[in-house]
Amino acid sequence: MTVHNPWRDDFPALRREIDGQVISYLDNAATTLKPRPVIQAVTEYYETNGANIHRGKHRLSEEASDAYETSRTMIARYIGAAANEVVLVRNTSEALNLVASGLDLGPDAYVVGALDAHHSQILPWRRVGRLDLTRVDAHGRLDRDHFRTLLRGRPQVVALTHCSNVTGVIHPVEELISEVRAACDATIVLDAAQFLPHQRINVHALDVDFMAFSMHKMLGPTGVGCLFGQSELLAKLRPLSVGGGMVDWVDLDGSVDRRIPFKFEAGTPAIASVIGCAAAIRYLEVLDASKRHQHAEELCTALVGGAIARPGVRLIGPPNETDRIALVTLHLENGVPAGEVARMLSDSYGFMVRSGHMCAQPLVTELAGGETLRVGAYLYNDVAEIEGFYRALDELLSWMAPEMEMGANR
Amino acid sequence: MTDSSIFEDVREEIAYAFDNTVFFREHMQAGRLRPEDIKDPEDFRRIPPTSKVHYRRNFPAGVLAKGYTLTSPNVMRFQSSGTSGDRLNSAILSYDLARRQATGLGVNRRFDELWRPGGRPKICRFAPPNCSDVECATGFSSLADRTLPDGTLVLTVAHDLLATPEWQIVKALDEIEVYQPDLLVVDPTHFAFLTRWTRRLERKITSPRKLHIVCGYTLMTRVARRQIEEFVGQEVPIGDMIGMSELGYLGFECHHGRRHINNVDFYVEFIRDNKPVEKGEVGELYVTTIDDRLIPRIRYATGDHFTPLGNSCECGSDLPVVRIEGRATHMIRLQDDRIVTPGAVDSVVGDPPWMDLYQLEQDRTGTCTFRYVPNTRAQASDGAALQARLADALAPNNVRLEAMDYISCERSGKFQPCISRIPAEGSQ
Repeated sequence: MTVHNPWRDDFPALRREIDGQVISYLDNAATTLKPRPVIQAVTEYYETNGANIHRGKHRLSEEASDAYETSRTMIARYIGAAANEVVLVRNTSEALNLVASGLDLGPDAYVVGALDAHHSQILPWRRVGRLDLTRVDAHGRLDRDHFRTLLRGRPQVVALTHCSNVTGVIHPVEELISEVRAACDATIVLDAAQFLPHQRINVHALDVDFMAFSMHKMLGPTGVGCLFGQSELLAKLRPLSVGGGMVDWVDLDGSVDRRIPFKFEAGTPAIASVIGCAAAIRYLEVLDASKRHQHAEELCTALVGGAIARPGVRLIGPPNETDRIALVTLHLENGVPAGEVARMLSDSYGFMVRSGHMCAQPLVTELAGGETLRVGAYLYNDVAEIEGFYRALDELLSWMAPEMEMGANR
Repeated sequence: MTDSSIFEDVREEIAYAFDNTVFFREHMQAGRLRPEDIKDPEDFRRIPPTSKVHYRRNFPAGVLAKGYTLTSPNVMRFQSSGTSGDRLNSAILSYDLARRQATGLGVNRRFDELWRPGGRPKICRFAPPNCSDVECATGFSSLADRTLPDGTLVLTVAHDLLATPEWQIVKALDEIEVYQPDLLVVDPTHFAFLTRWTRRLERKITSPRKLHIVCGYTLMTRVARRQIEEFVGQEVPIGDMIGMSELGYLGFECHHGRRHINNVDFYVEFIRDNKPVEKGEVGELYVTTIDDRLIPRIRYATGDHFTPLGNSCECGSDLPVVRIEGRATHMIRLQDDRIVTPGAVDSVVGDPPWMDLYQLEQDRTGTCTFRYVPNTRAQASDGAALQARLADALAPNNVRLEAMDYISCERSGKFQPCISRIPAEGSQ
């Protein structure tokens, strides 16, 4: 496979060969690979420091605290927030659980969500309230009429998903938020885990109350999720965990929580990973936005076009490139098992793609009826890789098709 | 079958693989070889060995013979976890599997009544979950979900054997009762664990049919065997199978307790340093399939090591007798460059009645830790003699003993009795 990509060389994992074969990483909706500056930042912390943050007066602790808080500031700046509005947790799931549990909703709290949400934007709300999911059409676009109908039930929370991790559809979140604001006074909680790696967001311009995302899906290390919350709302949110580091004072009668965002960050965090996030943000910030946008469009066209063009494959999502990221989910026809195909794509051809229900089982069951194959591209991928992926898939499907459809060349 | 007649079969297999598979033709061409160059065993050894890597990388397009697809009649597909992550996607013709199984079991008279004309034994499998090709490790699957197309029932098994919850054990025992098998195909370590739990739960493992037990997947330690034999009694035949997912039965234990290699359906070589080993020396098993129309394999380096012990056995079988030594990746490498195989370790450990399970682990520094799970028969002084034997066998490396109540499995669910972090040279 020949690829010419200005960013590819920055990702050392892509130099790896397995069984003498170059790998092609197309599982970017699950997590992205890490560029060298991120790896160096993490390594440098362990090689030159390694101390704990915030509660030490010694030099190493102060340096580590500075680096840690610099990361928070950079993440906040990237989304147009103030630093105290960004809570650093483990992942998007934890961020959403923190909001769901911390709002102190009553047992009958009504929550409106969407069918194409990730499990982490469904299950926390189902646990604390009465959740209704907005329907999607056959291509995964939100049924706007149904959404408006559900809003008439005056939900306390509207849990939105900016971009589906199954269909790749980018929902018109600005319009949805306007509709919510006009219809009720619900708290709006946005899952941006799939969207933010591809396009920037200004949280205040968007007028969202809470927004969750994961740095590992946007070149950062694993173990860092972020929760943005408008400061006055964060101040009212109840912490999910209590313990060391989140209190200013503890005596035998009680305790006084620290200010936001620290009151949500009990215990020692993933210091090295958070420090690595600053390098990820720096990497993203200096990318040529127009070049990146054009590249993403080319990848999207190759992915969607490839899916539409071939028999034996059904695209789960819109049959066009409008308002979507460079991601396709495929249902394999004729009962061809997606998991088995994913293993062979990996071991025989070097293509790393995901199979299964994508942590969005209600949607996948509704649109695909069973397991699927997901191909998610990112900036270090190339159209040639997508074409190579489809050639490999074609070849595999020809070996796995029912006997009567066997090609004459065998 | 004479050596010359089986070598003619090998030559036919080479010609078939060359004419019908892309990978093997290119493999031969890379070595500037053509099938007609291979006239005798010496020529044959000019063919570079093939390995799991080749068959993984080239599956299916490069290794399936012309005329077949993965949905052709009698093609059984599978995905094996492999040992220590060396996984494989592959396929096998069901009748080749049956043929090799019949040859293997043919060395053991106690298994004769298992196959009767017109009948097929009911098989129940209790093995590491990643070896099963069905979702057996969660509580969601039903008995029907875990019944394979050939009727074999796969019992539910946890990935971490010693952490198996009680409900899962009860479910396995209930399903054996309902299914009424003729044959239990088990991993010996897993099955020994099941027998311990069955006693604790005051249950039985029985069937109205005559029960047989075939052990495979990992090395059958004497400790595991003793527990299985004590539990099922003398009436139940137990046989140790030598096998690989991609090949089926490579051999079996005869009714005199010796392991025989199947040299009827395979041409076998025991190789060290690219040369055949002498009787009594450890060598890696290379196999060449005979009459495999789907995925012919030529000089396939299995990664499993054996000591050939000759052809004579009181059981009457002509199949070569071997001692199982284990996989290269599991061998202990000592500072003086000696290599101690898992089979040799098991001989040193023997069958102490006070032990339920053991694992010898060599770390990167070369130090060996022998962890074991003692049972209620254990006395404080029991470890001393074993410690002395192990120290002697593993000298000059250090070895220490640790009594545990838990030892973890590898992620695939397999439990290896012997693992080394500094694998022997030539291991894959």
